[in-house]
Amino acid sequence: MTVHYRRHQEGTDRVSDLDSHPLADTPGGPSVVEVRTSATAALIPTIRAVASDLAARADFDLDAISDLRMAVDEACATLVDVAAPSTMLQCTFTVYPEHIEVHAQVLGGTADAEVSTDTFGWRVLQTLADDVEAIRQIGVDHAAPTVGIRLDKRAGVPPR
Amino acid sequence: MPRSAPVPGELGVTLERSDAACALLKVEGEIDTLTADDLDRGCEQLLAAPSDVLVIDLSHVTFLASSGLAVLIRAAHQAGERRLRLVTAARAVRRPLEITGSEQLFDLYADRAAAMTQAD
Repeated sequence: MTVHYRRHQEGTDRVSDLDSHPLADTPGGPSVVEVRTSATAALIPTIRAVASDLAARADFDLDAISDLRMAVDEACATLVDVAAPSTMLQCTFTVYPEHIEVHAQVLGGTADAEVSTDTFGWRVLQTLADDVEAIRQIGVDHAAPTVGIRLDKRAGVPPR
Repeated sequence: MPRSAPVPGELGVTLERSDAACALLKVEGEIDTLTADDLDRGCEQLLAAPSDVLVIDLSHVTFLASSGLAVLIRAAHQAGERRLRLVTAARAVRRPLEITGSEQLFDLYADRAAAMTQAD
C-alpha cells in the first residue's frame, strides 16, 4: 500500500502515475491524501482507518467521523466488487476546513462494469454522506471503464 | 477512541447461552463484507435456539457496515414475534442503526444485564 500525504507541495513532481491533484499545490489550501491499495476487500479496513483518522484530525464530530468511516467502507466495498483482478483501488481524500471530499476509483473488470445504485448499500451510502455520486469513465478503444464514487462529508451534522 | 477489537477484519461470534428462557450471541470485532458471513452463521444458530428471548451482544463491535446491517435486519425479520434484542453500547453500532432507521426493528439495550434481566 502507498499513502501519499501532500500539502504545500512545491514543484511538479508526480507521486503517482495517475492525475496529480489540482489542489495539492495550493498554499494554505486543502490537504490531499491519496491511498492506493490492491483492489481487495482485505485492505478496506486500512482505508477506512485512514478516513477515520483524517476526520478526527479535522475536528469532525463523533457521529460525522463514524459516518465517514462507514461511507468510505461502503464505497470501497462496492468498487472492489466490480474491479478487474490484480488491479489497484485508488482513494483520494481532500480535507477542507469544514468537510472532506473522497474520490475512490478502480478499473472495471468488464466493459459494462458500473456502480449499482439500486442496492441497500447505495441507499446507506446516500444517507451517510452529504453528497454522493457514481462516476463512470468509458475506456479508450472499448477498454474497461474506470468506475468511481465521489462523496462529500461535512464536519458536523446540521440540526434537523 | 478506545478499541477492544482483536484484529481488524476478524470477528468473534459465540453462542454463549441457549436455554428455554434466553439465547445469547456475543459478537466481537468489525462487521464488514469480510466478516458478515460469520455473523450470518451466528444469527442462524441464535434463531435455531428454542428460547423466548434472543439477545445479540454487540458491545464489543467496533465497526458495522451495511453488509452487517443487512444480516441483522434479515435476522430480525426471521425472528418474527420473538423480537431481537441488541446490546448496543458502542457508537460504532448505534449510529448505523439510527441513521438507517433500522433501530425500530429491534429492542435496544445499553448493557447485557438489562437485556438479560427481563428474560429471567
